[in-house]
Amino acid sequence: MTAEALDQDNRAGERKWRRRSLWSLMLLVPLALAVEAYDSVKTLLGNNDLFPRRVAWGKSEHFGGSDWKLTDLRGAFGMSNLPPDSVPVLADFQVKIGNPDLQNLWLGCKITLIDKDGRRWSPTSIVSLKTTDNVQTCISAIFSGAKSGDTLNLRETFLVPKEATKSIRPAVGVASERPHFLLFQLEKD
Amino acid sequence: MIRRSANIILLLVVVAFCYGLQVSKPHYGDLIGPIPARGKLGDTVVGRAFEVHAEKVEFARNLKVDQFGQGKVLTTGGVWAVVTVEFAARAQSTVISVASWRGPTGLTYDQTERLSFMNGLLPVAIDPGLPRKARLIFELRPDEANNATLLVSEKLVAALDSQAEISLGPVPIAADGLPVGTIEMLDMAQPM
Repeated sequence: MTAEALDQDNRAGERKWRRRSLWSLMLLVPLALAVEAYDSVKTLLGNNDLFPRRVAWGKSEHFGGSDWKLTDLRGAFGMSNLPPDSVPVLADFQVKIGNPDLQNLWLGCKITLIDKDGRRWSPTSIVSLKTTDNVQTCISAIFSGAKSGDTLNLRETFLVPKEATKSIRPAVGVASERPHFLLFQLEKD
Repeated sequence: MIRRSANIILLLVVVAFCYGLQVSKPHYGDLIGPIPARGKLGDTVVGRAFEVHAEKVEFARNLKVDQFGQGKVLTTGGVWAVVTVEFAARAQSTVISVASWRGPTGLTYDQTERLSFMNGLLPVAIDPGLPRKARLIFELRPDEANNATLLVSEKLVAALDSQAEISLGPVPIAADGLPVGTIEMLDMAQPM
């Protein structure tokens, strides 16, 4: 083989590999982006209640290692010293503890009310109503030392404008289940 | 020889181009900083998660406050500026925690902490559909009252989130060095 032919052969091989490399970028660039974005996307999904899991009235649903059931949602009318056209709303849940590792499973527990327009209300500190001793909030329940098989009564208090009271539904989200959350339906639904 | 000088020229062009990019583009701090939502006194300024409406600004030499049932007068070497605002949450409940007063020379005053016991100061929790009034109180130099900007945000680090910037307009300064309309004593017990 002459030197010239060898040279030509090499060049053809080089060109082939150059083309292969360029084509492989089509795959490698999106792959690199996906690897880079993975953690951010995971954090984003893990911090937000995005996908509702509907729970029919009176039914209980396994969530964050325990069985959740909405027992009551009612307005507390006739209180004074409130902003005009606002109603305090109480949401009561009964939770049967399955996995008692609440400090991990219920981390970031957030109970909210969601109306038909997607507006979300967090529990309020403006209204505080007297409760019996065995009623807890979601956060205090995490530290209650509840054991498997126990039943906890949770109550959260909200302040909601009157016009929204017809369409609000309670929702429960915990870090271990995000981006999924429970959306409880009412009796009339 | 020609090739070498061509390389040097190319290098210089690249340096000049990069320098131009550096001076003409916004800094990284600006790019990831708060996103301004601008308005005037009396406007409703709409941010991502909250709305704020600045109703009025009052100046006073002294503030009369009620601390645990005892009347107390807070004096100042400068002037008190009290801004009455109304907050509203948009899509979900949130908390407004930070307000500051930026004077015409760029001096920025945080909300005073001398009245931390009083109701209706920041942080204020707001819920959708339930607008809520609040008072923002600043202690400032009288010459910082004119053409000031009120900055309001949810969090101290409002990176990539809205910050309301409300321009408060011209405030004439009287002969005694204080803003025109400064009152001697402002009673904080008055309803907003």
